[in-house]
Amino acid sequence: MAPFHLLFPVSVLAGFVGAMSGLGGGVVLIPALTLLGVDIKHAIAVSILCIIATSCGSASAYVRNHIPNLKVGMFLEMFTVLGALTGASVTLVISPQPLYIAFGLVLLGSWLALLLAGRQSWHDGPQDSMSRWLELEGSYPDDAVGQTIHYKGRRAYLGAPAMLGAGIIAGLLGIGAGAVKVLIHDLVMGLPPKVSTTTSNLIIGVTALAGTSVYLAAGLINLGLAAPVILGVVLGAFIGTRLLVRLTNQAVRRFFLFVLLILAAEMIARGIRGA
Amino acid sequence: MGSGKLRAEADLRRETLPQYKMDTVVGYTLQAGVLLSLALISAGLIWKWVATGGLVFDYRLRGMNLFHLAAQQFRLAAHGTVRPRLLVNLGVIVLLLTPYSRVLASVAYFTAILKNWKYSLFTSVVFIVLTYCLFLR
Repeated sequence: MAPFHLLFPVSVLAGFVGAMSGLGGGVVLIPALTLLGVDIKHAIAVSILCIIATSCGSASAYVRNHIPNLKVGMFLEMFTVLGALTGASVTLVISPQPLYIAFGLVLLGSWLALLLAGRQSWHDGPQDSMSRWLELEGSYPDDAVGQTIHYKGRRAYLGAPAMLGAGIIAGLLGIGAGAVKVLIHDLVMGLPPKVSTTTSNLIIGVTALAGTSVYLAAGLINLGLAAPVILGVVLGAFIGTRLLVRLTNQAVRRFFLFVLLILAAEMIARGIRGA
Repeated sequence: MGSGKLRAEADLRRETLPQYKMDTVVGYTLQAGVLLSLALISAGLIWKWVATGGLVFDYRLRGMNLFHLAAQQFRLAAHGTVRPRLLVNLGVIVLLLTPYSRVLASVAYFTAILKNWKYSLFTSVVFIVLTYCLFLR
Protein backbone atom coordinates (compact mmCIF):
# COMPACT_ATOMS: atom_id res chain seq x y z
CA MET A 1 0.00 0.00 0.00
CA ALA A 2 1.15 3.55 -0.74
CA PRO A 3 2.85 5.19 2.28
CA PHE A 4 1.36 7.98 4.37
CA HIS A 5 3.74 10.61 3.01
CA LEU A 6 2.31 10.03 -0.48
CA LEU A 7 -1.34 9.35 0.39
CA PHE A 8 -1.78 12.36 2.64
CA PRO A 9 -0.54 15.14 0.29
CA VAL A 10 -2.32 13.58 -2.70
CA SER A 11 -5.56 13.57 -0.67
CA VAL A 12 -5.05 17.19 0.44
CA LEU A 13 -4.60 18.16 -3.22
CA ALA A 14 -7.69 16.19 -4.29
CA GLY A 15 -9.82 17.82 -1.58
CA PHE A 16 -8.44 21.24 -2.48
CA VAL A 17 -9.06 20.93 -6.22
CA GLY A 18 -12.48 19.34 -5.58
CA ALA A 19 -13.58 22.23 -3.37
CA MET A 20 -12.13 24.97 -5.59
CA SER A 21 -13.72 23.60 -8.75
CA GLY A 22 -16.99 22.73 -6.99
CA LEU A 23 -16.78 19.18 -8.33
CA GLY A 24 -16.03 17.42 -5.03
CA GLY A 25 -12.98 15.49 -3.90
CA GLY A 26 -13.81 12.10 -5.44
CA VAL A 27 -13.38 13.20 -9.03
CA VAL A 28 -9.66 13.86 -8.48
CA LEU A 29 -9.06 11.46 -5.59
CA ILE A 30 -10.03 8.24 -7.38
CA PRO A 31 -7.78 8.69 -10.46
CA ALA A 32 -4.94 9.83 -8.14
CA LEU A 33 -5.31 6.79 -5.86
CA THR A 34 -5.37 4.41 -8.82
CA LEU A 35 -2.19 6.06 -10.10
CA LEU A 36 -0.63 5.31 -6.67
CA GLY A 37 -1.44 1.66 -7.27
CA VAL A 38 -4.69 1.37 -5.28
CA ASP A 39 -7.21 -0.98 -6.89
CA ILE A 40 -10.11 1.04 -8.37
CA LYS A 41 -12.80 -0.64 -6.25
CA HIS A 42 -10.91 0.14 -3.03
CA ALA A 43 -10.35 3.70 -4.26
CA ILE A 44 -14.08 4.07 -4.91
CA ALA A 45 -14.95 2.70 -1.44
CA VAL A 46 -12.56 5.06 0.35
CA SER A 47 -13.64 8.02 -1.76
CA ILE A 48 -17.32 7.60 -0.96
CA LEU A 49 -16.45 7.41 2.75
CA CYS A 50 -14.51 10.69 2.47
CA ILE A 51 -17.46 12.31 0.75
CA ILE A 52 -19.56 11.84 3.90
CA ALA A 53 -17.00 13.93 5.80
CA THR A 54 -16.63 16.74 3.25
CA SER A 55 -20.36 16.92 2.54
CA CYS A 56 -21.46 16.96 6.21
CA GLY A 57 -18.70 19.43 7.04
CA SER A 58 -19.80 22.02 4.50
CA ALA A 59 -23.53 21.26 4.91
CA SER A 60 -23.28 22.24 8.59
CA ALA A 61 -22.41 25.83 7.68
CA TYR A 62 -24.99 26.10 4.87
CA VAL A 63 -27.81 24.70 7.03
CA ARG A 64 -27.13 27.24 9.77
CA ASN A 65 -27.46 30.00 7.14
CA HIS A 66 -30.89 28.54 6.20
CA ILE A 67 -30.02 28.16 2.52
CA PRO A 68 -30.69 24.48 1.59
CA ASN A 69 -34.29 23.43 1.05
CA LEU A 70 -34.94 20.48 3.36
CA LYS A 71 -38.12 19.41 1.55
CA VAL A 72 -36.44 19.35 -1.86
CA GLY A 73 -33.54 17.50 -0.21
CA MET A 74 -35.66 14.87 1.53
CA PHE A 75 -37.87 14.25 -1.49
CA LEU A 76 -34.87 13.73 -3.79
CA GLU A 77 -32.92 11.69 -1.22
CA MET A 78 -35.54 8.94 -1.57
CA PHE A 79 -34.31 8.49 -5.13
CA THR A 80 -30.58 9.07 -4.64
CA VAL A 81 -30.24 6.53 -1.80
CA LEU A 82 -31.95 3.85 -3.87
CA GLY A 83 -29.69 4.80 -6.77
CA ALA A 84 -26.54 4.64 -4.62
CA LEU A 85 -27.54 1.24 -3.24
CA THR A 86 -28.02 -0.04 -6.79
CA GLY A 87 -24.89 1.59 -8.19
CA ALA A 88 -22.60 0.33 -5.41
CA SER A 89 -24.04 -3.19 -5.74
CA VAL A 90 -23.22 -3.12 -9.47
CA THR A 91 -19.61 -2.03 -8.76
CA LEU A 92 -19.13 -5.06 -6.51
CA VAL A 93 -19.87 -7.51 -9.31
CA ILE A 94 -18.49 -5.95 -12.49
CA SER A 95 -14.89 -6.01 -13.70
CA PRO A 96 -12.70 -2.88 -13.26
CA GLN A 97 -12.44 -1.98 -16.98
CA PRO A 98 -15.98 -0.66 -17.43
CA LEU A 99 -15.55 1.29 -14.17
CA TYR A 100 -12.52 3.11 -15.60
CA ILE A 101 -14.42 3.93 -18.77
CA ALA A 102 -17.55 5.06 -16.87
CA PHE A 103 -15.37 7.21 -14.63
CA GLY A 104 -13.70 8.80 -17.64
CA LEU A 105 -17.10 9.55 -19.17
CA VAL A 106 -18.33 11.14 -15.93
CA LEU A 107 -15.18 13.25 -15.85
CA LEU A 108 -15.93 14.39 -19.39
CA GLY A 109 -19.49 15.22 -18.27
CA SER A 110 -18.12 17.21 -15.32
CA TRP A 111 -15.77 18.96 -17.72
CA LEU A 112 -18.76 19.96 -19.82
CA ALA A 113 -20.73 21.04 -16.72
CA LEU A 114 -17.81 23.20 -15.59
CA LEU A 115 -17.47 24.67 -19.06
CA LEU A 116 -21.15 25.60 -19.14
CA ALA A 117 -21.39 26.64 -15.46
CA GLY A 118 -22.64 30.12 -14.80
CA ARG A 119 -24.07 30.56 -18.30
CA GLN A 120 -27.64 30.11 -17.04
CA SER A 121 -29.29 32.94 -15.17
CA TRP A 122 -31.93 31.96 -12.65
CA HIS A 123 -35.50 33.22 -12.95
CA ASP A 124 -38.61 32.12 -11.08
CA GLY A 125 -41.29 30.41 -13.16
CA PRO A 126 -44.72 28.78 -12.85
CA GLN A 127 -44.99 25.65 -10.73
CA ASP A 128 -46.61 22.41 -11.95
CA SER A 129 -49.24 20.65 -9.82
CA MET A 130 -46.97 17.81 -8.67
CA SER A 131 -44.27 20.19 -7.41
CA ARG A 132 -46.97 22.27 -5.70
CA TRP A 133 -48.33 19.13 -4.01
CA LEU A 134 -44.78 18.34 -2.90
CA GLU A 135 -44.49 21.84 -1.38
CA LEU A 136 -41.23 22.46 -3.22
CA GLU A 137 -41.10 26.18 -2.65
CA GLY A 138 -39.08 28.19 -0.25
CA SER A 139 -37.07 31.26 0.50
CA TYR A 140 -33.61 32.04 1.73
CA PRO A 141 -31.82 35.12 3.00
CA ASP A 142 -29.37 36.26 0.30
CA ASP A 143 -26.63 38.34 1.91
CA ALA A 144 -25.21 39.40 -1.45
CA VAL A 145 -28.37 41.31 -2.42
CA GLY A 146 -29.53 41.94 1.15
CA GLN A 147 -33.01 40.46 0.78
CA THR A 148 -34.98 37.24 1.06
CA ILE A 149 -35.31 35.40 -2.25
CA HIS A 150 -38.54 33.43 -2.79
CA TYR A 151 -38.61 30.60 -5.30
CA LYS A 152 -40.77 27.71 -6.48
CA GLY A 153 -39.20 24.40 -7.43
CA ARG A 154 -40.72 22.80 -10.53
CA ARG A 155 -40.72 19.66 -12.71
CA ALA A 156 -40.31 17.26 -9.75
CA TYR A 157 -41.53 14.50 -12.10
CA LEU A 158 -38.31 14.92 -14.11
CA GLY A 159 -36.07 15.75 -11.16
CA ALA A 160 -36.89 12.52 -9.29
CA PRO A 161 -35.86 10.01 -12.00
CA ALA A 162 -32.86 12.17 -12.89
CA MET A 163 -31.78 12.02 -9.24
CA LEU A 164 -32.11 8.24 -9.27
CA GLY A 165 -29.58 8.32 -12.11
CA ALA A 166 -27.30 10.70 -10.17
CA GLY A 167 -27.52 8.34 -7.17
CA ILE A 168 -26.54 5.36 -9.36
CA ILE A 169 -23.49 7.27 -10.64
CA ALA A 170 -22.56 8.28 -7.07
CA GLY A 171 -22.77 4.72 -5.74
CA LEU A 172 -21.18 3.12 -8.81
CA LEU A 173 -18.15 5.43 -8.97
CA GLY A 174 -17.79 6.59 -5.37
CA ILE A 175 -18.21 10.26 -6.15
CA GLY A 176 -20.67 12.84 -4.85
CA ALA A 177 -21.87 13.51 -8.41
CA GLY A 178 -22.46 17.06 -7.21
CA ALA A 179 -22.07 18.51 -10.70
CA VAL A 180 -24.89 16.26 -11.97
CA LYS A 181 -27.13 17.08 -9.00
CA VAL A 182 -26.58 20.82 -9.35
CA LEU A 183 -27.38 20.62 -13.07
CA ILE A 184 -30.64 18.80 -12.26
CA HIS A 185 -31.57 21.37 -9.60
CA ASP A 186 -30.70 24.31 -11.86
CA LEU A 187 -31.90 23.25 -15.27
CA VAL A 188 -34.73 20.82 -14.48
CA MET A 189 -36.15 22.03 -11.19
CA GLY A 190 -35.48 25.75 -11.57
CA LEU A 191 -33.91 26.31 -8.15
CA PRO A 192 -31.75 29.38 -7.52
CA PRO A 193 -28.00 28.54 -7.75
CA LYS A 194 -27.30 28.94 -4.02
CA VAL A 195 -30.20 26.69 -3.06
CA SER A 196 -29.25 24.13 -5.68
CA THR A 197 -25.58 23.81 -4.66
CA THR A 198 -26.29 23.71 -0.92
CA THR A 199 -29.24 21.32 -1.18
CA SER A 200 -27.16 19.05 -3.42
CA ASN A 201 -24.49 19.09 -0.73
CA LEU A 202 -27.02 17.94 1.87
CA ILE A 203 -28.20 15.12 -0.42
CA ILE A 204 -24.63 14.00 -1.17
CA GLY A 205 -23.86 13.07 2.47
CA VAL A 206 -26.87 10.79 2.78
CA THR A 207 -26.34 9.28 -0.68
CA ALA A 208 -22.70 8.57 0.15
CA LEU A 209 -23.78 6.83 3.37
CA ALA A 210 -25.94 4.39 1.38
CA GLY A 211 -23.02 3.65 -0.97
CA THR A 212 -20.49 3.35 1.87
CA SER A 213 -22.67 0.77 3.66
CA VAL A 214 -22.57 -1.49 0.61
CA TYR A 215 -18.76 -1.23 0.38
CA LEU A 216 -18.39 -1.73 4.13
CA ALA A 217 -20.49 -4.90 4.00
CA ALA A 218 -18.39 -6.15 1.07
CA GLY A 219 -15.15 -5.64 3.03
CA LEU A 220 -13.79 -3.08 0.56
CA ILE A 221 -13.10 -0.37 3.15
CA ASN A 222 -9.45 -0.51 4.11
CA LEU A 223 -9.16 1.73 7.14
CA GLY A 224 -5.39 1.92 6.83
CA LEU A 225 -5.99 3.62 3.50
CA ALA A 226 -9.08 5.52 4.61
CA ALA A 227 -7.60 7.22 7.70
CA PRO A 228 -4.93 9.37 6.00
CA VAL A 229 -7.13 9.94 2.95
CA ILE A 230 -10.11 11.25 4.99
CA LEU A 231 -7.90 13.64 6.95
CA GLY A 232 -6.17 14.84 3.78
CA VAL A 233 -9.32 15.36 1.73
CA VAL A 234 -11.10 17.24 4.53
CA LEU A 235 -8.07 19.47 5.11
CA GLY A 236 -7.75 20.17 1.38
CA ALA A 237 -11.46 20.91 1.03
CA PHE A 238 -11.31 23.23 4.05
CA ILE A 239 -8.44 25.23 2.54
CA GLY A 240 -10.08 25.24 -0.90
CA THR A 241 -13.41 26.52 0.42
CA ARG A 242 -11.76 29.30 2.44
CA LEU A 243 -9.57 30.34 -0.46
CA LEU A 244 -12.15 30.56 -3.18
CA VAL A 245 -15.84 29.86 -2.78
CA ARG A 246 -16.66 29.86 -6.47
CA LEU A 247 -14.61 29.77 -9.60
CA THR A 248 -14.21 33.37 -10.63
CA ASN A 249 -10.70 33.53 -11.92
CA GLN A 250 -10.60 32.50 -15.57
CA ALA A 251 -7.02 31.20 -15.36
CA VAL A 252 -7.86 28.90 -12.43
CA ARG A 253 -10.97 27.74 -14.23
CA ARG A 254 -9.05 26.93 -17.40
CA PHE A 255 -6.50 25.03 -15.33
CA PHE A 256 -9.23 22.82 -13.83
CA LEU A 257 -10.75 22.24 -17.24
CA PHE A 258 -7.35 21.11 -18.47
CA VAL A 259 -6.76 18.80 -15.45
CA LEU A 260 -10.20 17.23 -15.82
CA LEU A 261 -9.67 16.55 -19.50
CA ILE A 262 -6.30 14.87 -18.84
CA LEU A 263 -7.77 12.73 -16.04
CA ALA A 264 -10.74 11.75 -18.24
CA ALA A 265 -8.46 10.71 -21.11
CA GLU A 266 -6.21 8.79 -18.73
CA MET A 267 -9.10 6.86 -17.15
CA ILE A 268 -10.71 5.98 -20.48
CA ALA A 269 -7.35 4.89 -21.92
CA ARG A 270 -6.74 2.63 -18.89
CA GLY A 271 -10.22 1.17 -19.24
CA ILE A 272 -9.57 0.33 -22.88
CA ARG A 273 -6.04 -0.98 -22.27
CA GLY A 274 -7.32 -3.15 -19.44
CA ALA A 275 -5.77 -1.02 -16.63
CA MET B 1 -56.99 31.92 -5.00
CA GLY B 2 -56.59 34.80 -2.50
CA SER B 3 -57.33 32.61 0.52
CA GLY B 4 -54.91 30.02 -0.85
CA LYS B 5 -52.19 32.65 -0.97
CA LEU B 6 -52.98 33.79 2.58
CA ARG B 7 -52.89 30.20 3.77
CA ALA B 8 -49.56 29.66 2.03
CA GLU B 9 -48.16 32.74 3.76
CA ALA B 10 -49.46 31.58 7.14
CA ASP B 11 -47.93 28.14 6.50
CA LEU B 12 -44.63 29.79 5.62
CA ARG B 13 -44.64 31.80 8.88
CA ARG B 14 -45.67 28.74 10.89
CA GLU B 15 -42.82 26.76 9.34
CA THR B 16 -40.12 29.41 9.38
CA LEU B 17 -39.53 29.61 13.13
CA PRO B 18 -39.25 25.88 13.89
CA GLN B 19 -37.29 25.49 10.66
CA TYR B 20 -34.71 28.07 11.77
CA LYS B 21 -34.36 26.35 15.14
CA MET B 22 -34.11 22.99 13.42
CA ASP B 23 -31.44 24.31 11.00
CA THR B 24 -29.32 25.44 13.94
CA VAL B 25 -29.59 22.07 15.70
CA VAL B 26 -28.87 20.10 12.50
CA GLY B 27 -25.99 22.40 11.56
CA TYR B 28 -24.22 21.94 14.89
CA THR B 29 -24.93 18.17 14.94
CA LEU B 30 -23.29 17.75 11.53
CA GLN B 31 -20.33 19.86 12.56
CA ALA B 32 -19.87 18.07 15.88
CA GLY B 33 -20.10 14.65 14.18
CA VAL B 34 -17.47 15.46 11.57
CA LEU B 35 -15.11 17.13 14.05
CA LEU B 36 -15.38 14.26 16.56
CA SER B 37 -14.76 11.74 13.80
CA LEU B 38 -11.71 13.61 12.50
CA ALA B 39 -10.37 14.01 16.06
CA LEU B 40 -10.68 10.25 16.70
CA ILE B 41 -9.00 9.33 13.39
CA SER B 42 -6.18 11.85 13.98
CA ALA B 43 -5.68 10.61 17.54
CA GLY B 44 -5.49 7.02 16.25
CA LEU B 45 -2.89 7.96 13.64
CA ILE B 46 -0.80 10.01 16.07
CA TRP B 47 -0.89 7.20 18.63
CA LYS B 48 0.20 4.72 15.99
CA TRP B 49 3.06 7.00 14.98
CA VAL B 50 4.20 7.57 18.58
CA ALA B 51 3.97 3.86 19.39
CA THR B 52 5.56 2.40 16.29
CA GLY B 53 7.26 5.28 14.50
CA GLY B 54 5.24 4.43 11.40
CA LEU B 55 1.90 5.49 10.04
CA VAL B 56 1.08 2.47 7.93
CA PHE B 57 -1.99 0.61 9.01
CA ASP B 58 -3.04 -2.05 6.60
CA TYR B 59 -6.19 -3.66 7.64
CA ARG B 60 -9.50 -4.21 6.00
CA LEU B 61 -12.75 -4.38 7.83
CA ARG B 62 -13.87 -7.87 6.96
CA GLY B 63 -17.35 -7.57 5.45
CA MET B 64 -19.46 -6.37 8.32
CA ASN B 65 -22.12 -3.78 8.84
CA LEU B 66 -21.92 -0.65 10.92
CA PHE B 67 -23.74 -2.12 13.90
CA HIS B 68 -21.49 -5.20 14.01
CA LEU B 69 -18.46 -2.99 13.79
CA ALA B 70 -19.74 -0.72 16.57
CA ALA B 71 -20.62 -3.66 18.83
CA GLN B 72 -17.20 -5.22 18.25
CA GLN B 73 -15.39 -1.95 19.04
CA PHE B 74 -17.37 -1.33 22.21
CA ARG B 75 -16.66 -4.91 23.36
CA LEU B 76 -12.94 -4.32 22.79
CA ALA B 77 -13.07 -1.01 24.63
CA ALA B 78 -14.97 -2.62 27.53
CA HIS B 79 -12.22 -5.24 27.83
CA GLY B 80 -9.65 -2.49 28.02
CA THR B 81 -8.18 -3.32 24.58
CA VAL B 82 -7.67 0.26 23.55
CA ARG B 83 -5.29 0.63 20.61
CA PRO B 84 -4.83 3.09 17.73
CA ARG B 85 -7.00 0.98 15.44
CA LEU B 86 -9.91 1.24 17.87
CA LEU B 87 -9.82 5.05 17.69
CA VAL B 88 -9.76 5.02 13.88
CA ASN B 89 -12.68 2.57 13.83
CA LEU B 90 -14.66 4.71 16.27
CA GLY B 91 -13.94 7.75 14.08
CA VAL B 92 -15.42 5.96 11.07
CA ILE B 93 -18.45 4.83 13.10
CA VAL B 94 -19.13 8.42 14.21
CA LEU B 95 -18.70 9.60 10.60
CA LEU B 96 -21.30 7.11 9.31
CA LEU B 97 -23.72 7.97 12.11
CA THR B 98 -23.54 11.71 11.32
CA PRO B 99 -25.74 11.85 8.18
CA TYR B 100 -27.86 9.01 9.59
CA SER B 101 -28.71 11.09 12.67
CA ARG B 102 -29.46 14.07 10.41
CA VAL B 103 -32.11 12.00 8.63
CA LEU B 104 -33.48 10.76 11.97
CA ALA B 105 -33.75 14.37 13.15
CA SER B 106 -35.63 15.23 9.94
CA VAL B 107 -38.11 12.41 10.56
CA ALA B 108 -38.74 13.77 14.07
CA TYR B 109 -39.04 17.33 12.76
CA PHE B 110 -41.64 16.58 10.09
CA THR B 111 -43.57 14.13 12.29
CA ALA B 112 -43.59 15.78 15.70
CA ILE B 113 -43.09 19.49 15.03
CA LEU B 114 -44.57 20.25 11.61
CA LYS B 115 -47.03 17.31 11.65
CA ASN B 116 -46.59 17.15 7.87
CA TRP B 117 -47.66 13.61 6.91
CA LYS B 118 -46.28 13.78 3.39
CA TYR B 119 -42.78 14.62 4.50
CA SER B 120 -43.03 12.34 7.54
CA LEU B 121 -43.55 9.57 4.99
CA PHE B 122 -40.74 10.70 2.67
CA THR B 123 -38.20 11.13 5.47
CA SER B 124 -39.22 7.75 6.91
CA VAL B 125 -38.63 6.09 3.53
CA VAL B 126 -35.12 7.57 3.41
CA PHE B 127 -34.50 6.50 7.00
CA ILE B 128 -35.72 2.94 6.36
CA VAL B 129 -33.62 2.54 3.19
CA LEU B 130 -30.53 3.84 5.04
CA THR B 131 -31.19 1.51 7.97
CA TYR B 132 -31.48 -1.39 5.51
CA CYS B 133 -28.14 -0.34 3.95
CA LEU B 134 -26.47 -0.15 7.36
CA PHE B 135 -27.68 -3.68 8.19
CA LEU B 136 -26.35 -5.18 4.93
CA ARG B 137 -23.98 -8.11 5.34
